[in-house]
Amino acid sequence: MLSDVITPDLFAAALRIATPLALAAIGGTICERSGIVNIALEGIMLFGAFFGTATVLATGSPWLGVIVAVLAGVIVSAIHATASINLRTDQVVSGTAINLLALGVTGFLMELWYGHPGTTEPIRTLQPVFHFTASGEGVLNEIWRWINGVFLSHTPIVYATIVIALATHWAMYHTRWGLRLRALGEHPRAVETAGVSVARGRWVAVLMSGALGGLAGANLSIEQVGVFQENFTNGRGFIALAANIFGRWTPIGSYLASLLFGFADALQIKLQPFRDVVDIPPQFFYMLPYVLTVVVVAGVMGRAIGPAAVGVPYEKE
Amino acid sequence: MSESRQVVPAQRAWMTLVLKAGTPLVSAILAMGVGSLIMWVSGYDPAAAFAALFKGSFGGPKQFGETILRATPLILAGLAVGYGFRAGLFNIGAEGQLMMGGLLAAWLGVEMAGLPSAVTVPVLLIGSALAGAAWAFIPAILKARIGAHEVITTMMFSHIARFLVQWLVNGPIKAPGQTPQTAPLGLSGQLPRIPTLFSESTLEALPFLGLGRAHTGILVALLAAVAVWLVLKYTTLGYENRAVGYSPWASETAGISVQWTTVKALCISGALAGLAGAVEVMGVHHRVFDQFSAGVGFTGIAVALLAKNHPLGIIAAAMLFGALQAGSGTMQLEAGVPQKIILIIQALVIFFVAAEQIVMWFIRKRQKEAISGAE
Repeated sequence: MLSDVITPDLFAAALRIATPLALAAIGGTICERSGIVNIALEGIMLFGAFFGTATVLATGSPWLGVIVAVLAGVIVSAIHATASINLRTDQVVSGTAINLLALGVTGFLMELWYGHPGTTEPIRTLQPVFHFTASGEGVLNEIWRWINGVFLSHTPIVYATIVIALATHWAMYHTRWGLRLRALGEHPRAVETAGVSVARGRWVAVLMSGALGGLAGANLSIEQVGVFQENFTNGRGFIALAANIFGRWTPIGSYLASLLFGFADALQIKLQPFRDVVDIPPQFFYMLPYVLTVVVVAGVMGRAIGPAAVGVPYEKE
Repeated sequence: MSESRQVVPAQRAWMTLVLKAGTPLVSAILAMGVGSLIMWVSGYDPAAAFAALFKGSFGGPKQFGETILRATPLILAGLAVGYGFRAGLFNIGAEGQLMMGGLLAAWLGVEMAGLPSAVTVPVLLIGSALAGAAWAFIPAILKARIGAHEVITTMMFSHIARFLVQWLVNGPIKAPGQTPQTAPLGLSGQLPRIPTLFSESTLEALPFLGLGRAHTGILVALLAAVAVWLVLKYTTLGYENRAVGYSPWASETAGISVQWTTVKALCISGALAGLAGAVEVMGVHHRVFDQFSAGVGFTGIAVALLAKNHPLGIIAAAMLFGALQAGSGTMQLEAGVPQKIILIIQALVIFFVAAEQIVMWFIRKRQKEAISGAE
């Protein structure tokens, strides 16, 4: 049984499932580091997934779909930025409104454009980047089979996410932008005193998180599932925020935490065929990522400290 | 959740009062205005849509009964979210606590089928409230002891509750038959429909009592609203709740245990959400099935925000959203507008209520200037 579960597939699935979580989690990291809570990521992903899918349905081009998904994420996050930076509304409330708006608008447009609620027609998806064969016998071939299966079987956004995690992590600790970003969330007054606009810095951060959320949505619809389903982000935006906390507000940490969630989810999918052997109802498997999120947030909180000024609207003196 | 609290000079107090009552109204109107715009851009006729909406929600006693029916759980869910907000807590997972309350009512209602109503109904209501409180207890403890954010934990518990219900209605407490649902409650656990309380002749003489499917759960909801209002206004429990909401730091200094108050606030919030689940099961569905909660807990967030967490305002806000839901079917049927527009209008309401703070901020700034100018 073990050799049926522990396969290259399992680890490849973990990477795949981690991707949208990681993108949203890194978006959450950047946003919270600037001092803005972004629980709207759930809705931003949904918007990205929907408009990405709609674009592919209209044009037949998956790449155009990805671009539109990212743009949709940026536009929606601009609403969050306006509300929480310029209007100083409660950031969690603004995020809740966007999540609700995402459910409403995508559901409404489903019926308006496609004439029915639920699921869209299947779309052309983005294909894996590499196509290597792995069929030989022997130890070396077995190693190649694992490398090929785990690392070389993925679609473009999966690889892009790894690059994004490394690049944002580097930028956060080695560039002027990164230094300012971290200062924004800890002590915005100091940033303002240094002659840098708090509002502008936060706007950039929120728009970046919107772009990443949109890309996460594109990965879900245009790479993984190949359709759009109503509400199919299913709490991923919230799990991503937990991953961000578990990753201690760093991009690489967020990525690794997302991998953990991805692995747990991949494992529960892999274990489902063995339901007859262990006799556990499927719903308990479905619960797993959510239980894990609570455990992670409970276990890490108190020891991990977030940015000091997160969630506090900034008022110029 | 921060609210504007500022000492207002007496001569400006009336302005704040007007804003307090006026802005939710303006927000609701603005939201429906933007909703109309969206309908118009999408090629629908907003006037026809709202006419149909009104017909479906207030067109007659039966339609008005449907509005009451929808408003009933919304009042309780709104109270749940609002009570948390007053302590500075965002119980975004009221939906999960609602499911657990409904689940308990459905189970107990079958078990207690033979007992008199006078026993069954209170036991079901209290049990559901306890079940809701229990489901909020772990997030409450995690928040109080280690600061785990309740937005994430209650949301996750909501997802867990969804699968718990799904599992139970598919297996352990499934009624015989094809459909995954529980057996119907015994009559003793059901909340009667309002028209059934009156004789035929009374209904003929007073046709406005023919409120269709509206049930006595509305009395539970109204009583709860008044109770929460009294508790917040006149009791130590309510005072501590509000004090922690205003300023946890000052409360701690004043000798109020912030941790204990947090636990109590989230559990009471959960209990109110549990009651919302109970009235839905006891008054409408008479059983539990997958996704019976239908997003009532989430709509409760919009209700609480629109009412600015005032228990009596929540009744009015719930009636508005109840009317939108009740009329949305007629709207889709007669004007062709997808019912999802109601979700969009709800989201817009939240936006406009939240953006109202810019108006308050502006006024406070004017006040500051007036004060510093006078000195």
